[in-house]
Amino acid sequence: MIRVLPYCAFLADSRVELPQFGVDGREVKILEHGELRVLWSEVKWPYDPQAMQRHAVEFHDVVRQVFLKAAVIPFRLLSVFENEASLSAFMSANEAYFVSDLKRLASAVQMECVIYFVAGRPQPAESGTAYLREKAGLLQRIRKSAEEVTHALGSVTQDLRVREVRNGVRMFVLIERGQEKPFKAAVEAVSVPEALSRRTSGPWPAAEFLCEELRAPQAPSVK
Amino acid sequence: MPTDFEPITLGGTGEEEVSLLEILDHVLNGGVVIHGSLVISLAGVDMVYLGLNVILTSVETALRNLQLAETIERRELP
Repeated sequence: MIRVLPYCAFLADSRVELPQFGVDGREVKILEHGELRVLWSEVKWPYDPQAMQRHAVEFHDVVRQVFLKAAVIPFRLLSVFENEASLSAFMSANEAYFVSDLKRLASAVQMECVIYFVAGRPQPAESGTAYLREKAGLLQRIRKSAEEVTHALGSVTQDLRVREVRNGVRMFVLIERGQEKPFKAAVEAVSVPEALSRRTSGPWPAAEFLCEELRAPQAPSVK
Repeated sequence: MPTDFEPITLGGTGEEEVSLLEILDHVLNGGVVIHGSLVISLAGVDMVYLGLNVILTSVETALRNLQLAETIERRELP
């Protein structure tokens, strides 16, 4: 069956070069909705599992091309609509939130810093208690390191979310577009504690900083 | 709250490089969340998720192999 896959929303006055082809080589179309523009394609649903990696990269490439020049609100690869009318109804119901967030995040990008330990197998002679104690110690050092990074970033940070993951913390940092190098320099100035690893990435669309309504919007009911 | 899918546990090879795993994480987990009966067919989602598990496993395996290869390479250095 054919479904409608939205890639991202952006403001109509953005000067962007629109991608021609998206997931599975399908034509990228544009939905004009007041101040909003939404890129979308018709896709075959469900996806072929063997093609998921490729689809992920294709989806990413479409969003990235717009994001290079303007703020975007991305959708998700597995969020599809029945048809263009359903997508349009969804955008009508949530237009105010999209416009408000796109204006609020117009000049912001999201950077990420993950501090983690690589889980190793406990040595045979090691007791379970000793292993858990060691893990707790590592987590404490990770949290301390995250605090040091937060401090080092200082005024580069516009907003910050920290989420604990299974073996570390993931920091989402909202910064001004163009401040990526100062961000990376500030993070790199903080030494990585022994036995821990750290990875930074970005810029990404500021998806972690969307308003609650867009992180879980309600679709209009269809009868 | 720990998440189920953590690209960071698999590490990476370069700070500037965007890994496939990071892309997968963002296109699947980042962005607008849509609820509602009109959105998706459940059977389709089951199939996609089934496929996705397979794919994530293969990515994880690939990166583990890459890390193993790097370890071996380091050991072989004088």
